[in-house]
Amino acid sequence: MSVIQELSRSKQSVSPRRKGDGRWALFFLAPWFVGLVLITAGPMGASLYLSFTDYDLLSAPQWIGAENFTRMFEDPRFLNSLGVTFMYVFVSVPLQLAAALGLALLLDRGMRGLALYRSVYYLPSLLGGSVAIAILWRQIFGADGLVNQVLALFGVQGQGWVSHPDYALGTLMALNVWTFGAPMVIFLAGLRQIPQMYYEAAAIDGASKFRQFRSVTLPLLTPIIFFNLVLQLIEAFQSFTRAFVVSGGNGGPSDSTLLYTLYLYLKGFGSLDMGYASAMAWFLLLIIGGMTAVNFLASKYWVFYDD
Amino acid sequence: MTDASTPTQTATATAVPPPSDGGGPSGTEDRRPTTRPRGRHLRAKVGSLLKHAGLIAFGFVMLYPLLWMLASSFKPNALIFREPGLIPTDIDLSNYTDGWNALLHPFSHYLINSAIVVLGSLLGNLLSCSLAAYAFARLEFKGKRLWFAVMLMSIMLPIHVVIVPQYVLFSQLEWINTFLPLIVPKLLATDAFFIFLMVQFFRGIPRELDEAATLDGANHLRIYLQIMLPLSMPALATTAIFTFIWTWNDFFSQLIFLTRPEMYTVPIALRTFVDSTGESSWGSLFAMSIVSLIPVFIAFLFGQKYLVKGIATTGIK
Amino acid sequence: MSTNGLRTRRGKRLAASAAGIAAVALTLAGCGGGDSGIGGGGDEPAAAEECPCEIRFAWWGSDTRHESTEQIIEAFEAENPDITVVPDFTDWDGYWDKLATSVAAGDTPDVITQEERYISDYSTKNVLADLSQLDIDTSKVDDSVLAGGQIEGAQYGIPTGINAYAMVADPEIFADAGVDMPDDTTWTWEDYVTTANAVSEGAGEGVWGTQDYGFNEAGLNVMARQRGETLFTPEGELGVSEQTVADFFQVSLDLMEGGGQPDAARTVEYQAAGPEGGLLGTNQGAMGVWWTNQLGALTDSSGHELELLRLPGETEGERTGMYYKPAMFYSVSADTEYPESSAKFVDFLLNSQEAADIMLTDRGLPANTEVREGILGELSPTDQKMADFMADLEDEIVDTPPVPPHGSAEIADIMERVNTDVLFERITPDEAATQFMDEFNAAIAD
Repeated sequence: MSVIQELSRSKQSVSPRRKGDGRWALFFLAPWFVGLVLITAGPMGASLYLSFTDYDLLSAPQWIGAENFTRMFEDPRFLNSLGVTFMYVFVSVPLQLAAALGLALLLDRGMRGLALYRSVYYLPSLLGGSVAIAILWRQIFGADGLVNQVLALFGVQGQGWVSHPDYALGTLMALNVWTFGAPMVIFLAGLRQIPQMYYEAAAIDGASKFRQFRSVTLPLLTPIIFFNLVLQLIEAFQSFTRAFVVSGGNGGPSDSTLLYTLYLYLKGFGSLDMGYASAMAWFLLLIIGGMTAVNFLASKYWVFYDD
Repeated sequence: MTDASTPTQTATATAVPPPSDGGGPSGTEDRRPTTRPRGRHLRAKVGSLLKHAGLIAFGFVMLYPLLWMLASSFKPNALIFREPGLIPTDIDLSNYTDGWNALLHPFSHYLINSAIVVLGSLLGNLLSCSLAAYAFARLEFKGKRLWFAVMLMSIMLPIHVVIVPQYVLFSQLEWINTFLPLIVPKLLATDAFFIFLMVQFFRGIPRELDEAATLDGANHLRIYLQIMLPLSMPALATTAIFTFIWTWNDFFSQLIFLTRPEMYTVPIALRTFVDSTGESSWGSLFAMSIVSLIPVFIAFLFGQKYLVKGIATTGIK
Repeated sequence: MSTNGLRTRRGKRLAASAAGIAAVALTLAGCGGGDSGIGGGGDEPAAAEECPCEIRFAWWGSDTRHESTEQIIEAFEAENPDITVVPDFTDWDGYWDKLATSVAAGDTPDVITQEERYISDYSTKNVLADLSQLDIDTSKVDDSVLAGGQIEGAQYGIPTGINAYAMVADPEIFADAGVDMPDDTTWTWEDYVTTANAVSEGAGEGVWGTQDYGFNEAGLNVMARQRGETLFTPEGELGVSEQTVADFFQVSLDLMEGGGQPDAARTVEYQAAGPEGGLLGTNQGAMGVWWTNQLGALTDSSGHELELLRLPGETEGERTGMYYKPAMFYSVSADTEYPESSAKFVDFLLNSQEAADIMLTDRGLPANTEVREGILGELSPTDQKMADFMADLEDEIVDTPPVPPHGSAEIADIMERVNTDVLFERITPDEAATQFMDEFNAAIAD
């Protein structure tokens, strides 16, 4: 994988003295390693095996070879869910990150009521996948919701956004952007970690605020931007709870919010077709893995590490 | 953020009130050597007011759904959907008392269960993930790239397909219906998300620091304990906050692994107010959702303080 | 140090991957193990039961049901001090995920609550015991009702109670709109459309005649039965004609066109909002088709005295279409260690007056007609109304539809998708009928 490329860069700066940290690595990685072997690897391997079987959870799995994988590409609902998911990921993730970064920058430096603002903006993310979200979202994007009440002030007759197949996915994206709290907090932490001395040096050189942002904040924040991008992409591809709750569990109306993992779940637990669901999961892993690899490859050109 | 009126580098963001708000002489702690002409003062004040107005308006939009939930939690069940306005016609606390006592145990029981799971997970993630992250960020060992890729891969598989094998595994260990399946994996750094997070942060800490320490004879454990951890407070705080919130809200694994009502946690308890096939207690659901938000909100308020205590304030140069 | 370290590392890695493979093997053995326990089936009960023992009872529902069920368990334990019943409850969606997972791991609850959409899946995979082999008295349950839990001659579930799919109407809104309540003994599907349209017109902005009925296959089943067809045949095949399906969806379109029901987006929204947030619950509509056990929730949230009506077309076709639906089933795990204790508990749930007095109509109007009589005096006015309505239907109902076939858990999903496409006029009713037949057949085929 191309994580390799990315990591190989750090190697260049390694002094010979620091080679051979093997024993230390074993020590530091021991808990993770035990977890990987005992808890992660087994179930992952099992799901890989199940992806080649016909498995209904209630009786023993039957080996059927690659049939699950070939079946996927003849399944119109699967192909639809793939399209819906790509749309969702590539629209909502950049928007969410932009909102998170903008507010983090705005809220980072000295300002009255800072702690309160931060907490208030974070609050929506605390709700997570609560069952209440579905109702709350209807209060905003429903036929008589907040959005339409505001539109009515301007004489515009709105409609039920959350339940219209053409707009439902949009409201789901809005929900994702709305919960920008997590990346915002990570950005805030990243901003806090930029050594003050760099700003002092820049100020002494007479650099303007914008210049300081461009040549100090932004480059030093790139590892965190990169991290957020990678993570939010992975998370968005796996988005489940929100779509599940908002659509009432079926990706409706008319499959317009049928995200990949939601369909996977419906197949696995709804139709009791866990073999197919496992195959879908491994195909998703390929997609996300590929996407992440591309990300790591590209990061060479824009992410700046201090080491 | 490029607004010239806001000082970009007060020493600690929360401790020092910005001059534009205070109106008095600019803070002596302000290390920025540039001087501030007095003529900019008024403009700064207006600018700040506008900024606050904007932030408050935006905050209202962000909070509207929560305010609606809060308002609804004070309405009788029957009126929640019939009168969906933001201001309740009369305040009724019965949702709180009913909701608190509606289930087999008082709601505090579920709050405590959730707290146990959260504390265990918190401890586990902070410890095990930072250890692993140190190895990936600072150590050279064979197969590092491969293991890093494996680590990332382990968070790419949706939980729905691994939960059944996991259940089998845990039931053979006789861990079902204990908190162990929820806590032990965290102690073993299975939340690779946080390893990755900390790797990114550790790599942002200048190498000169640990190289200096190495020259002083410090080994990796000491560098980890005395340099990395103290300098990574923002990353640790982020990990702590996220672990808290995600564990607090996690429904699926808690639902599957906990089968006895006395072991139920808040998310499972909340679901039991709603029955899509019959009658639901929406009022109780909203009231108890608000109640269960309080600890998370406090955790966040408290935890975010540590977000600002990074390298920026430790004075190391 | 470094070469040494390298060698140890390599050794460790080999050992680790071996352990990983072992873990997988262990896991899968676990899956298989769970199955082999089930394989035995229900026909060979354990030789002798050692009690005191502990059985697990799984059900879904909301807080009120959890509370009353807990009381019933206490009553049972008082009578049977050597049996402990462990409650295992959650909401509807979570219930099925959890049940499937625990069955997969061979950790099936002893007494399981089932529903008609899933009971075929579970019984054909030998998860459920044949209850007729166990000591449970079913003599007080009508044979036709009891048949609702029979698949190929075996009793995999005993109905807890019965519901009917019926028209709920709000007389106050009818009065406001200046429209007479329909005579439900004679009204036709055409009358339904004209009545709803008239209410919408009379009641003005923001109030509609009825809420769309097309999301639930039960309505289709009633219409099919009125025409002498049936949604599913006893052999587990589709028994409804494409014409009937098309006609069923056409009713929705006629209502939308005539204003009798809201536009498509609103309709989908009200559907998602459940009984409390639907048209009747929010006083925005005069009619809606619901299960009789939802009358309580509807009445509470609307604050109005709602009435139950027969579905339209009962006297229009060749026979009546309405039926008693088993609300849920009590089932027993095929590989329970304690079949006798489990049976004793099911018998208590079904036949004990004490249990019925606590449960009332929470699991449907009790299937046991004797305890049903016993609780009539204690019902709330709403439940009383429901019980009376159900009693009135008794002579009109011809039979109970067969248990839906294996794979029928997907029905609700398919129905919802096809109906949404019809409402948004993405497909015509005729196309909808074709799509519906195709998808249904695919769902029940495998």
